[in-house]
Amino acid sequence: MAAEKSLQRVTLTSNDGTQIEVDRAVAERSILIKNLIDDLGESAVASDAIPIPNVNDAVLRKVLEWCEHHRNDPPQSADDENDNRKKTTDIDEWDQKFMQVDQEMLFEIILAANYLDIKALLDVGCKTVANMIKGKSPEEIRKTFNITNDFTPEEEEQIRRENEWAEDR
Amino acid sequence: LADLLNLCTSQQLSFVHQFVSPLLKKDPFTTLPDELCLRILSFIDDPKVLARASQVSRRWRDLLSDDMTWKNLCVKHDYQRRMSEVQPPFHINTTIGPNALSFGPQENDAGGSGALTSTSLPATFERSANGRPAPRSYKSHFKQRYLVDAAWRSGGRNVSRNITQDGGVVTSLHLTSKYIIVALDNAKIHVFDTDGNALRTLQGHVMGVWAMVPWDDILVSGGCDRDVRVWNLSTGDCLHTLRGHTSTVRCLKMSDANTAISGSRDTTLRIWDINTGLCKNVLVGHQASVRCLEIKGDIVVSGSYDATAKVWSISEGRCLHTLQGHYSHIYAIAFDGQRVATGSLDTSVRIWNAQTGECLAILQGHTSLVGQLQMRGGTLVTGGSDGSVRVWSLSRFCAIHRLAAHDNSVTSLQFDDTRVVSGGSDGRVKVWDLKTGNLVRELVTQGEAVWRVAFEEEKCVAMALKNSRTVMEVWSFSPPEEMLR
Repeated sequence: MAAEKSLQRVTLTSNDGTQIEVDRAVAERSILIKNLIDDLGESAVASDAIPIPNVNDAVLRKVLEWCEHHRNDPPQSADDENDNRKKTTDIDEWDQKFMQVDQEMLFEIILAANYLDIKALLDVGCKTVANMIKGKSPEEIRKTFNITNDFTPEEEEQIRRENEWAEDR
Repeated sequence: LADLLNLCTSQQLSFVHQFVSPLLKKDPFTTLPDELCLRILSFIDDPKVLARASQVSRRWRDLLSDDMTWKNLCVKHDYQRRMSEVQPPFHINTTIGPNALSFGPQENDAGGSGALTSTSLPATFERSANGRPAPRSYKSHFKQRYLVDAAWRSGGRNVSRNITQDGGVVTSLHLTSKYIIVALDNAKIHVFDTDGNALRTLQGHVMGVWAMVPWDDILVSGGCDRDVRVWNLSTGDCLHTLRGHTSTVRCLKMSDANTAISGSRDTTLRIWDINTGLCKNVLVGHQASVRCLEIKGDIVVSGSYDATAKVWSISEGRCLHTLQGHYSHIYAIAFDGQRVATGSLDTSVRIWNAQTGECLAILQGHTSLVGQLQMRGGTLVTGGSDGSVRVWSLSRFCAIHRLAAHDNSVTSLQFDDTRVVSGGSDGRVKVWDLKTGNLVRELVTQGEAVWRVAFEEEKCVAMALKNSRTVMEVWSFSPPEEMLR
């Protein structure tokens, strides 16, 4: 029964109208979709596409690619989540490659993972951004993300002094 | 567009690249909702990264002033424990009592032992250990703890003082929220403020002082002259001389502000009312010198040279259990209300159930006398005449770290959530990371021997023999006031 279920196909509709068909097990990496399927009932899902109004075609495909690769991962428990946060920024190799996209796409993936409720993917995305911040000076961070320094020189000097305590101890 | 790019020279493409690549960059913290920005920040555990990030722009500064991020960081660095530490029920007497404020009242001649389990500040957040205003946010709390930690690793200020011109043996050292108290085998007790400035000398004992215990402004002491004396630390007056023991007093503890319990080479323990100066009870049963004792609630546990430990009811004045199993003298004891740990000349450490009297575990590994032990939470730390310090898990009854700490005996040790400090007869004071077991640093310039060490969150005191003189070194790891603003 379980095997049958996981091979069932479902169709998702992105916000730009594209339909994508995937294995139900892959789609159900998203807790949002899993709950939707539970609520709508299997027969409804078999006949109608599931609308995903907040995600466009390109991002949805990318997210589903991740779900496909991680389709057999054990579900995350609350404990795992805490552990993950403690362990911070280790990302497995496949995920690192997967996240080598432009920043627009990276942030879209994070937003989609948050909306679709895929914790593991959300964490990989957040860790990727965290890693882009680490080890950089404020100016290097600005360059990385094309951010304008909107401090006045006085403010900048004050905030530098306020944060001096954390430097190299 | 692709066709157009195909026609470009590499120079032109390079221009396009320079033009386009910033356009592909985007500020995550203006793109994403706050909740997700904070989630990203929760994956950063280095305060330096956060401090630098807060200097990027106003938006970043505002996000990084969110206290959730710093609360997370406190959790990751284990800085939150003192704010939320739940005290087991048996600790009630010590959390109410003024001793709860003193980090690490170092034990009497048996060295560090169980009382230290209760030495954490119950609420750093409301009441700061050194009179500083309490931190108002997790960020300032983190900053303070981080700076203190950094000072422990590679900073701090220290003062050094000669206590005697000859090399008197320091038998006992206590560091409280108000005082540093030092007892010597020359019958004197010296009282200093917490910066190490001499306040007064308590004179009255006629022979070596071997045990003492402070309680706020009261000090109870005992030694070779068989007397137990009650002192007022703020005036230096001797309030009572309690007589009854027929041989040297070896150990002393208080169960509340009125009650002191002494153990003696005369094989008995005596329960004293220090307000009236009367002996309330004599606990008889040991066959040899009572070397160490520990109190929690109505229970006192005692370790003896007769190789047994006994569990007594203070109110009933009777022995509830005799803990039998060691093959030789017991030198050190710790008690957390449920479990008793004993260290013996037979080189083993035993863990006992105080309610049933059964032996729960025998911890082997030391190769000589185990004279130092302290229990705290689920952790036991022991030190021996073999020079090693061992950190044990009390849930698994196994060694977590075996530290080759000193060339000779471990004379003194204490630990808290973060670190272990050990002193040895090799003249060294070493600070260890409790979690990793790594040596963090050595504190004092090496002397001939270290008699005693005691520490609290931002302070460490060591009594050492240097150039044949008894010297006190006081280390402070408090960040300068201007850095905390």
